[in-house]
Amino acid sequence: MLTIIIRSILIYLIVLLVFRLMGKRQLGQMQPFELVLTLIIADLATIPMAEVSVPVLHGVVPLLTLVVLHFLLTLISRSSQQFSKIISGKPVILVNPKGIDYQAMKKLNLSTDDIFAALRECGYFSLSQIQYAIMETNGKVSVMPKADYAPVTNGDLNTKVEDSFIPIVLISEGKIIKENIELAGINEDEIQKIISQNSSKSKKIKDVLLLTIDKTGQTYLQMKEGEGISFQSKRLVET
Amino acid sequence: MKFFHYINFILIVILLAGICVLEDVMVSNSLKEMQSICFEIEGKLENYNDLKNMDIVLSIDNLEYRWHKDEASLCYMVNHKSIQEIGQEIAKLKLYISGNDIEAFKVSLEEIKFYCHSYLHFMGANIHNVL
Repeated sequence: MLTIIIRSILIYLIVLLVFRLMGKRQLGQMQPFELVLTLIIADLATIPMAEVSVPVLHGVVPLLTLVVLHFLLTLISRSSQQFSKIISGKPVILVNPKGIDYQAMKKLNLSTDDIFAALRECGYFSLSQIQYAIMETNGKVSVMPKADYAPVTNGDLNTKVEDSFIPIVLISEGKIIKENIELAGINEDEIQKIISQNSSKSKKIKDVLLLTIDKTGQTYLQMKEGEGISFQSKRLVET
Repeated sequence: MKFFHYINFILIVILLAGICVLEDVMVSNSLKEMQSICFEIEGKLENYNDLKNMDIVLSIDNLEYRWHKDEASLCYMVNHKSIQEIGQEIAKLKLYISGNDIEAFKVSLEEIKFYCHSYLHFMGANIHNVL
């Protein structure tokens, strides 16, 4: 049993390394060749994990071979459009201003139900709202609505809006994230002050569930016991 | 970062090539050595009428020692179950010595040679194994 436990840990770490080397794409964003590799990797990893008589190398070698293969396919795909089309296919226009492209639908083995399901996922419930719908190489459908149904943007209304910024997490589950404090250009005393001024219950850092701040000074504080509050603190120094 | 990405893959390729070469060298060296020891024992058998003599016993001990030593290393590369027959046949050889069963002894030796030959075939890189 100990052997199986150690092997499982070893294989897990190797598969983790393999996926890190392959990149951060999620299942739904994978190209066909990446999906195939992922499925094979999942299967390969279980064999040496459960079967003690099979050397770990019998799992590791094919895994590493697939990493190299993936690297090579990605490299060639990037440098050759033609090769990329062969391996990943190319985007197909499913819906155009005239309606559903039946030939494209047949070629992709889709039914009208599949198309409607994909359109509904994009927030469109009627074909009359859609100018173009494109099936991407990773299987997702991108929709371009007709001008009448396109969401209004601030640009359309000529409204001046200040850019929003990504909030920096200063405290997460009672722990100060030192790296982010440096990034935000504030110190622990200032953080303590923010907590003391805005928390009615505990004033301790360890009781903070989440404290975030963005470049404009917009702060969000939630204690472990209590509701979250948003307030304005000082603007952060540009770092 | 991109540089390290390439280095990673080059290292993996080198590692894979190293494993392949190591496997080939280890497998062929140990199995060929086993075969040659078997031939040596067969040669010695022609000079003796019975198995209970020091020369044969030492040769079998040597065969067993070599196999146990190589089997441990081979297990990193090949399935344990695929190479267990040689160990079983060596154990039988020792039994045949105590029973002085020369015919069965010869058969077992032949089996060991046959297994070594078969292993060399199925563990090596050739088109039959690939397909």
